[in-house]
Amino acid sequence: MIIGSNAAENHPISFRWVTKAMENGAKLISVDPRFTRTSSRADIYAPIRSGSDIAFVNGLMNYIIHNNLYNKDYLVDHTNASFLVNPKFGFSNGLFTGYDTAKRMYAKDTWQYQLDENGNPQKDPTLQDPNCVFQLLKKHLSRYTLEKVSSITGCPTELIVEVAKTYGATGAKDKSATIMYAMGTTQHTVGTQNVRTYAMLQLLLGNVGVAGGGINALRGESNVQGSTDMALLFHIIPGYLKTPRVENQTLAEYLEKWTPKSNDPKSANWWQHTPKYVVSLLKAFWGDKAQKDNEFCYQYLPKLSANCDHIAMFEAMYDGVIKGLICMGQNPAVAGPNVLKERKALERLDWLVAVDLWETETAGFWAEPGVDAKKIKTEVFMLPAAASMEKEGSITNSGRWMQWRYQAVHPPGNAKSDLWILDRLYKELKKLYASEGGAFPDPIVNLNWNYGAGEEPDVHLVAKDINGYDLTTGKLLPSFAKLNDDGTTSSGNWLYCASYTEDGNMAARRDPTDAPNKIGLYPKWSWCWPVNRRIIYNRASCDLQGNPYAPHKWVVKWNPEEKKWIGDVPDGGWPPGEKYSFIMKPEGYARLFGFGLADGPFPEHYEPLEAPVKNAMTSQQTNPVIKIWTGEMDDIGTVEKFPIIATTYRVTEHWQAGQMTRNNPWLVELMPDMFVEMSKSLAQAKGVKNGDRVRVSTARGHIVAYAVVTSRFKPFRLNGKAYEQIGLPWHFGFKGLAKGDSANSLTPHVGDANTNIPEYKAFLCDIEKEVG
Amino acid sequence: MAEKAMLLDMEKCIACRACQVACKQWNELPGEKTTFFAAAGGYQNPIGLSPKTYTLVKFYEVEEQNKLKWLFRVHRCMQCVDPACVKACPVSPKAMTRDEKTGAIYVNRELCIGCGACREYCPFTVPVIDTEAGKSTKCTFCFDRLADGIEPACAKACPTDCLVFGERDQILEMAHKAKARLEKKGRHPVIYGEKELGTGTKKIYVLPEPLDYYPDVIKNPKVSEDLGFFHQMLKPFGTLTLTASLVGMVLAKMKEAKEKDKVKPS
Repeated sequence: MIIGSNAAENHPISFRWVTKAMENGAKLISVDPRFTRTSSRADIYAPIRSGSDIAFVNGLMNYIIHNNLYNKDYLVDHTNASFLVNPKFGFSNGLFTGYDTAKRMYAKDTWQYQLDENGNPQKDPTLQDPNCVFQLLKKHLSRYTLEKVSSITGCPTELIVEVAKTYGATGAKDKSATIMYAMGTTQHTVGTQNVRTYAMLQLLLGNVGVAGGGINALRGESNVQGSTDMALLFHIIPGYLKTPRVENQTLAEYLEKWTPKSNDPKSANWWQHTPKYVVSLLKAFWGDKAQKDNEFCYQYLPKLSANCDHIAMFEAMYDGVIKGLICMGQNPAVAGPNVLKERKALERLDWLVAVDLWETETAGFWAEPGVDAKKIKTEVFMLPAAASMEKEGSITNSGRWMQWRYQAVHPPGNAKSDLWILDRLYKELKKLYASEGGAFPDPIVNLNWNYGAGEEPDVHLVAKDINGYDLTTGKLLPSFAKLNDDGTTSSGNWLYCASYTEDGNMAARRDPTDAPNKIGLYPKWSWCWPVNRRIIYNRASCDLQGNPYAPHKWVVKWNPEEKKWIGDVPDGGWPPGEKYSFIMKPEGYARLFGFGLADGPFPEHYEPLEAPVKNAMTSQQTNPVIKIWTGEMDDIGTVEKFPIIATTYRVTEHWQAGQMTRNNPWLVELMPDMFVEMSKSLAQAKGVKNGDRVRVSTARGHIVAYAVVTSRFKPFRLNGKAYEQIGLPWHFGFKGLAKGDSANSLTPHVGDANTNIPEYKAFLCDIEKEVG
Repeated sequence: MAEKAMLLDMEKCIACRACQVACKQWNELPGEKTTFFAAAGGYQNPIGLSPKTYTLVKFYEVEEQNKLKWLFRVHRCMQCVDPACVKACPVSPKAMTRDEKTGAIYVNRELCIGCGACREYCPFTVPVIDTEAGKSTKCTFCFDRLADGIEPACAKACPTDCLVFGERDQILEMAHKAKARLEKKGRHPVIYGEKELGTGTKKIYVLPEPLDYYPDVIKNPKVSEDLGFFHQMLKPFGTLTLTASLVGMVLAKMKEAKEKDKVKPS
């Protein structure tokens, strides 16, 4: 099922494999507000209006539970379906128990398991207890009837049933299905819960840890997986460890707070090793300077006191709080939400360093038509950067494969690799701190930074640092199992420990031999984390005796003679029955009831911030935990003024904010102009013909684009009334060979409750034929 | 005979245009200046084959009984088995060349005089005369890549293996398998290029829908009879006369064609 993704257009190589699967008899379901090039290949196309995904998938799950299509053994053996929850936990009027209206957040006291005398969760393996997760989930989902879901999504009930039946058939032990999703899923105020519905759906059907199963996040850029692994986001440090909060004043307090505990000897509780990963990371950062007596330089790490996500940063820039910005390979003037505000925010910076292949709309924000550069005081530095084929290094894909790339050509002119730029920046800062001092230069001047004496820093040394060393011997470590919390090991990212060992650069391997189980693991092609395990949670593909549920496509199986697992790297080598299968959770089971999220342990439909209708499920209109920005240029539109649903998306022919593609004549030939896609009925109502210029407006601003009048958008019947939806590619800007208005002039400054990713995918607009 | 061919299994096409761009990259052709989209029903650009565009992806949006279909078809030279364009080419040695080994038909630009006979007699009206350079232009079947034993650029670039290069009889076998696969799914596919023009073409299309869905595809392509007539009539008089007569006739037809071209899209 491809949902919240248009894989054929935006991840065409992934679609190569979908095509092969279909040749082998796989069925493709495309769920999308618009009939796309992916939908053209699908066996079933189910239209849902933007912002109604949770209702749709909750509806599928409700159908699956009611029609007994779920995999009961899998639920009992591998998920928390049987766990008993605090009887005080509840849900009413769209809110879970523990909501603080003033603070707009939940206290999670009631979102907890009932514990036995050993402090371990109590369970009912018959799944009958009214307080067991399964019964609570069944009750929660029972409200998502076919009629309700159809009324919220605009998808006809017959189609919902067809999808539920087809997808639900993979609840059978020998069948599996995979979900492919992308930004259509994540870029909503309920984005994280959107993803949760897929995880829960797959768990209900026993599709996690099995061949052909799982959830595939198709990442938005070729190496964003690498960038999140290396923690370029503010809330994590490398390897998905938590950024210290201001409350975690000491290393001991930090480790106590963030290291999960379990009293169950059968739970591997893998995050119990957090101290080893944190201390090894600190040793990688500060080397010999990091010692036990100075908490391994823990005090050098910044402590979080507030959200520093993209929207918050630009709001702070607009307010003059943030004075300078280094913008590497990003073009927020086109790609950010609410770009009219974000471009204004750039004007208020004292300085901007733009590192990119071209002078983008961000680097050249002061040259936007209509902007008076003389009034702008920002000092702008343009550093030309090398493209991905012009430098050596690795890229990590959606399958967690770290694939090494060699340098194919030299960068043109003065363009440099990011590594060279960062290395020079560090060295200059260090020199300046030495000669001029500073408020607190230690975290920078004490960095462990040894990347060779050459003109170009040695990226292999960086990769080795990331893998990590046994500091007592100076040898590269073979796996994170060897990391210690006493300062004797270092690792720049525990997940990548085993990627560059004494045996060499594992990421550079190119042996296409498949594993003996022949399910397409290719264990010797590059290297994937963790420890080259290709399918995570793979012990859940077996019963508790280690026998595969689907012998014809086994992932791992227990070999009793050799007393070991064969096939993929097992997700824990313990013999069957010794440890539970979902080792990254302290309880050892996958969570249908997921209390780790900010907005609820079960997914609930809330409308987007700008919604065409009242929430049909409850009186809680929007996600109760999201931050509402109320500054200048943060206006929100209502359906009375902006009656049309709008969404943004990407196309095959253009890439992100367009620098690379809108400067390529072959691609400009294919898509030279900004356009907006709309239904025939909407076009007729507005007197618009295919190819006319139209004005699209929201509360934030307006753009002008060519109208594409198509059958691929149809109005949605929501609660008996017809609502139109339009779609806009967001690749265009005022620079380049092909120019066009930026769709993100229209999108709002509001983000997801957990990740703060902006709600680019569902907002309100109006359109009219452009005169003159 | 090791005649090469290409399967174009259009059900697998996702209209990504990798073929269109790969062809330009290999043949060092520039991008065309375009505006918006060339045709309704999709994202086609440019409007037709040209001296700058040897392969072109077309989009067909069809709605029937509430079911929506979006079909894609990549349009280019059919690389006929018995090419009329080669027969029509009046110069000697032929500018429109048929490679002995692979059967690839391509324009030898050094010899080409841009007379337009190839276009006139092509049953699919594919070649486009570059009036500035005075040369005929069309898909070359990447004869230069084939000479080094590598597949055409478009087939190499296609991510879903909808374009597959191989021996003609292998390709025909694959086409029939693809047709069976589509029939099993309840569709009404058509193989185009197997028997057209009698001896067929080397581009073998498997279209997932009947030809009515592709109005720009010529249903019963035929080579104009007068091409054969002139060949028969003038043969006894030797190559020179044959050439002179053909050139004369063609120049006359060219004038006629120039008028027709103004209204006929390719």
